[in-house]
Amino acid sequence: FPAWGPRLLPARGRKTRYDPPAKSKASRVKLPPPVDPEELLVVTERYRQHRLLLSALRAQFRAEVLQKKREALLSREDSAELQEQHQRLMAWNEQENARQRARREERIRKEEEEEKKQKLQAAENKARKMETFLQEKEKEVLRLQEEARTFITPENLEARIEECLDNPRNYNFAIDKEGRIVKRTVLS
Amino acid sequence: ALFAGSRLLKGYRGGHVVIRFALGGCTNRPFFRIVAAHSRRARDGKYLEQLGCLDPLPNAHGERVAGLNLERLRHWLGCGAQLSRPAEKLLGRPGAWGPGWGPATARRGSPLLLAGLAGFLPLHPMTVTGAERLRRRRGQEAVAPPADGSPGAR
Repeated sequence: FPAWGPRLLPARGRKTRYDPPAKSKASRVKLPPPVDPEELLVVTERYRQHRLLLSALRAQFRAEVLQKKREALLSREDSAELQEQHQRLMAWNEQENARQRARREERIRKEEEEEKKQKLQAAENKARKMETFLQEKEKEVLRLQEEARTFITPENLEARIEECLDNPRNYNFAIDKEGRIVKRTVLS
Repeated sequence: ALFAGSRLLKGYRGGHVVIRFALGGCTNRPFFRIVAAHSRRARDGKYLEQLGCLDPLPNAHGERVAGLNLERLRHWLGCGAQLSRPAEKLLGRPGAWGPGWGPATARRGSPLLLAGLAGFLPLHPMTVTGAERLRRRRGQEAVAPPADGSPGAR
C-alpha cells in the first residue's frame, strides 16, 4: 500500500491483535501525516549532505584511532627486543627457504635426469624390439618364398598330378612292442 | 577485563555499537546518560562506557545542562559506533545548515575545531527543518490572530 494512503491496520498499543477495536473507532480513518514535496526535497538534500559530512568525520576519527594504536604498539617497553627478535626470525626463515629451495632444485634436477634416462632406455628398447620384429618378419618372408617354390599352382597342377600318379608312395609300416619299425610291406 | 571489543558475556547475534541515551531518574524526573552500548542491549542495561549525561529539565537559571566526554566520543566514533537520532541532534553544530546556506556553499574550517555542546558534529537536518516549521507556524499565527481579532471584534 502507498505511504500516502490511509493506514488500514493500526499499530498495536495496549490491546493485543486479537482484541476487537473500540466502537468509537469504528468510523476512524487513519491517514499518514501530509508531506510537502518541496520541503521533502530540501530535507532529502540536507540528509544527503549530513551523511556525507558524518562519513567524512567518521573516517577522520578512525584514522586517529588507528594512529593511536600504531604509536602505542611502537612505543612499547620491549619494542627493541621485539624488533631484534623479528629480524632474527626473518633471517632464519630466509635461510630455511634457501635450504629448501636448494633441496628442491636438487630433487627436480635428479628427477629430470632420471626421466631422460628412462626415455632413452624406452627409445632403445623400442628400436631393438622393432629390429627383432623386422628380422623375424624377414625370415618369415624368406621361408614363405622358399615354400612357395613347392606350391601347387594352376600351371603346375597337371604336371604335379602326373608326377604323383607316376610315383606312388607307400606310407604303410609295421611296428612291434619293442619298437622295431618295418617299412617293407606286402604292397611295395 | 572480562570482555574485550565486541564479545559480551551474553551471546548476541549481530548488532553494533550505538551511542544513545539511557533513561534513569525517578517518576516525573527523567535523567539521561549518554552511553556507548550494543544495539541489542536493553536501553538501561549493561553498557560499554558512559560518555556523558543530559538533564532534560531546566535548572534554576533556565538552562538545560549536559556533559560530554569528547575524547572518548571520538574514539568510539572512530571504532564505528552509530548514533541514535536524539544523540545526533544533541551533538549538532549550528552553522552547517544556516537558512541562507545552500549546498553550493563551501564549508570553511574544520568542524573539529568547534567543541562544546551542539558543536561536535554537523547539525541534524531535522533540527533545522523543525526550526523552520516552527518559525513558519509562528509567522502564520502572528498573521492569523490579528485577522481574526479585528473581524471577531466586529
